[in-house]
Amino acid sequence: MNWSNLWTATYETLLMTIISSLLAYVIGIPLGVLLFMTSKNGPKPNKWVNIIVGGIVNILRSVPCMLLIIILLPLTRSLLGRGTGAWYTMLIPLFFASFPFVSRMVEQSLSEVKKDEIEALESMGASNLELVKKVLVPESKPSLISGFSVSTISILAYTSFAYDFGAGGLISRAYSFYSAHSGNYLSFPNVWIIILIVLIIVQLIQELGLYIAHKVDKRKVN
Amino acid sequence: MGYLELKNISKRFGDQIVLDEVSLSVEKGDIYGVIGLSGAGKSTLVRIINGLETPTEGEIFLNNEKIVSPKMKPPRRIREKIAMIFQGFGLLEQRNALENVHLAFEITGEDDKDQAKSKALLKKVTLADKEKNYPSELSGGEKQRVAIARALALRPEILLSDEATSALDRKTSDEIISLLESLNKEIGLTIILISHQIEVVEKACNKVAILDKAKIVENGPISDIFLSPKSEIGKSLIYAGDLKTPLSDKHLIRLLFDGDADSPLVSNIVTKCGILVSIVYANTHTLQGKVYGQLILKLPSYDKDIQKLEKYLSIEHIRYEEVSSNELE
Repeated sequence: MNWSNLWTATYETLLMTIISSLLAYVIGIPLGVLLFMTSKNGPKPNKWVNIIVGGIVNILRSVPCMLLIIILLPLTRSLLGRGTGAWYTMLIPLFFASFPFVSRMVEQSLSEVKKDEIEALESMGASNLELVKKVLVPESKPSLISGFSVSTISILAYTSFAYDFGAGGLISRAYSFYSAHSGNYLSFPNVWIIILIVLIIVQLIQELGLYIAHKVDKRKVN
Repeated sequence: MGYLELKNISKRFGDQIVLDEVSLSVEKGDIYGVIGLSGAGKSTLVRIINGLETPTEGEIFLNNEKIVSPKMKPPRRIREKIAMIFQGFGLLEQRNALENVHLAFEITGEDDKDQAKSKALLKKVTLADKEKNYPSELSGGEKQRVAIARALALRPEILLSDEATSALDRKTSDEIISLLESLNKEIGLTIILISHQIEVVEKACNKVAILDKAKIVENGPISDIFLSPKSEIGKSLIYAGDLKTPLSDKHLIRLLFDGDADSPLVSNIVTKCGILVSIVYANTHTLQGKVYGQLILKLPSYDKDIQKLEKYLSIEHIRYEEVSSNELE
């Protein structure tokens, strides 16, 4: 494996991870908000909405990622022209595998906002939308940001399944070494380089998330 | 009908009765205290007034307009007239003091770019120099001032204070109460002050309602209630004061006096009646400039002395009563 192959694998992994994380958040934030708002102790309890949305999220979360990819193959094929064999074919299954998880993360972050803060706004007559825009999201920003890095790291782990569908990426590449040289694959420096790159990416996401979360948080005494 | 009229408000959560037919009449400019032990239903009452919850039964009228019923929360224009401050302050932790006050203007749609109105309000609560500070950098008293400034941004007619001083030390609590009193005088703000602290209600309120086990057990002008509470809970709240040890002695008599605290009462009892009383407890309250108080005396031989003492007290027009042994426990 040469350096250009390694670079291709790295960017496939990064693109798969980042694009599906962003897609997952586009849907996950509104769903998380809905789950929190309609929960029993939320500002606008609504049993049925909560049961239905929560049910869908729970069902999707309990389907193993591999199974989800298989189920979604026809959808991926019809939308992208092919079901396997390129990094972008992983985007749709990774999105479905991660947005339920992200929704629960968002719900959890919002539930950390103090009840007094929510009630202060409600007592001023704020609308639901104002409640979300002025209090829930801004007040849980640090928690949402660190949650984002946790979710992104999980999604990066999901990219391992790309191997089975010829979708490329770093983890697939490491596995190819194992299939080709199952006896002595660990003696290839490239395998170690791949492991190192994955570790660096994960650490970067983790530390960057924590750094930004801490940076935007005004609760600390400077 | 009063300015703010609560009619037979009941609230049940399942089998639990939190409020039981509570009626209250608040006049414009009142500082109306609602006092009771925790769990008496005080917080639920204010939360119903400003629509954080609806009652199971009953109605509330503001200026003869119905604003609350089991099916109706106050409309937005009414909620803006009824501001609220909380025990936990309710400030947004990711906004600085100025932005927290400005929040109210964002909600009412009156936000100005330069935040001049918010600055003026912070100045009013003497926090102009802390406008850039985040809540984590403010003391409890300062946080409550910001919350008051934010409440004032709504230009409220009524301010609901839900245990707003309970998390503060005595001195800071007094400062907040003084601020509320001055707002009451300056802009005629009607205040409903929920507290479990007798000294807070005593300092600020002109009327008081005592809430116990979901019901109002007595209410009226504060001097009436504080001078002679009728209910058991009222007596224990008002007389107990800072009396920590329960009185278990039987032969105790309580003297009640108002404004006359300078006559040498105890000396007179000793010299004129010849009864060698000992003082068990004394406690006075200052209400609107007048001193009200109680004195609990122990008689050496109760049966022998009580008639003599009663006679003397009736001549001097001093009210008295026997202390029931369980009242202060």
